[in-house]
Amino acid sequence: MISLRNVWIVAERDLRTFLQYKFLLIMRAIWFLAQIALFGLIVNRMLKPEVELEIGTSYFNFYAAGIIITLLYSTTVFIGYDIYEEADHGVIEYLLSLPVSRKELVLGRSIGGGLRSFIYVSPMLLFVLYLIGVSNPLQFMVAFVSLFLFAFGVAGFSITLAVSIKSSDKFDILLGIVDALIVRLSTTLYPLVYMPAYYRVVARFNPLTFAADLFRWGAGIESAVLTSPAIAILGIVLFFSTFTFLGIVLHEKRLEGGGWQ
Amino acid sequence: MKAILYVLERDFRYFFRYRWWIVGMLSMSLADLFIMAVVYTGMVKQEITEQYVSYFLFFAPGITITALFAAAFMIGREINMEIRREISHYMLSLPVKRWELAFGRVLAGGLRGMAYMTPLLLTTLLVTFVWAGNVPSPLQMLIIVLALFLISVGTSGLSITLALSTTSFEKYVTARGVVYYVLFFCSTVFYPLNLIQDVMPQAFVIIARYNPLSCGADLARFFLLGHPTFEPVMFLDLAVFALFFALLAMFAYMKIVQK
Repeated sequence: MISLRNVWIVAERDLRTFLQYKFLLIMRAIWFLAQIALFGLIVNRMLKPEVELEIGTSYFNFYAAGIIITLLYSTTVFIGYDIYEEADHGVIEYLLSLPVSRKELVLGRSIGGGLRSFIYVSPMLLFVLYLIGVSNPLQFMVAFVSLFLFAFGVAGFSITLAVSIKSSDKFDILLGIVDALIVRLSTTLYPLVYMPAYYRVVARFNPLTFAADLFRWGAGIESAVLTSPAIAILGIVLFFSTFTFLGIVLHEKRLEGGGWQ
Repeated sequence: MKAILYVLERDFRYFFRYRWWIVGMLSMSLADLFIMAVVYTGMVKQEITEQYVSYFLFFAPGITITALFAAAFMIGREINMEIRREISHYMLSLPVKRWELAFGRVLAGGLRGMAYMTPLLLTTLLVTFVWAGNVPSPLQMLIIVLALFLISVGTSGLSITLALSTTSFEKYVTARGVVYYVLFFCSTVFYPLNLIQDVMPQAFVIIARYNPLSCGADLARFFLLGHPTFEPVMFLDLAVFALFFALLAMFAYMKIVQK
């Protein structure tokens, strides 16, 4: 039986831990501003007029919505680094000694990991919504809830990788490569129709594609080139379920016994 | 000279401690070129990049410069950490003159940038050869490498100067973030200058025009793709950038480590 109180205590601890990343959060915020105010505005002028027609809005709006998802993803994966920090300082043994089950621990971490990045991204998300506007509040609420699931799924994904690999060096490189590919092979930066067929195959099933297109739909950007909301929601639910489940199973099996490098 | 070589060797050993970071960064640069630039090539107005054959080829020299910049900038982070943890006191106890230490650190930062950038420069040469059929002459190649070296040394000096300006890691990271992203995005690495002139206020246009990343990218583009026109001021800009920040960093380093 999972105690929601225990899950919340674990999540709350992760929310507090997040503040230690002050400098990374500052860097990310500056990165966001530079992306929007410089890159987004200039590239908006660089593209063919048909791009705007196809995506149903200006490229700037399309890009700003995508950047929020990139930011949400990149701040949520920090949770994996927290696990290595804890292994390094022997905190894992302390966590295992607490009257909290392994399931509650990993569930709390997934929720805490997702929630803290959501709180961090919120002001920037509101800024982007102010730029784009919200035409249908109900649509937006559906997208918003799905983005929560997306963030929890990313946290589960990062935890799964961290506890499977147990080597901070390998985790760092794998996450670097995944980060390089998962963002670029998604619709966060550009629509699916402009990708060569060999990239499109991967991008179509990328959780960042689901999240970015769903967020755009929630903000009222509707276009045939975006992933349909039903498919995007289904994709996010599958992503969340898979990685929360994997995270719980692997966390239970591999957290004990040391072997962290 | 031997003392400087020891300093260089130490900094290179430290650099390769971050081998995972290096692999991650390399994969990110290659993904930018072979995924992002490929997709944008189909989206960009033809008239904007037709002189460069395609956006993909326009972007290739740019990615070499950004990689060089990112790697050369790393030395600042290490020096900031050394000052905070007072490792600089240990450095002062070594039988190495202050100026040798300072010069070695600036040079090491620059050479590390060059070492990291080499695979990307080779990739750029390969893609411009395959898609544009251009092979630079040995003299042109020498000019490109020299220009890249000047950017690398200047960047190393800039990052050391920045790192020495504060002992607070948060302040350093914030300042680094601002410098990093302004120089990255306010340059001709991602888009040509005339486009920046159309969109951005005059202050940003001036930054973009004299930004060493712009000069380096455009200089490489001229020798690899024949456009934009080479202006001697580009080289002068890079030389001034390298000299100014290398001297400033050396002076600041010699002063700070003695405190």
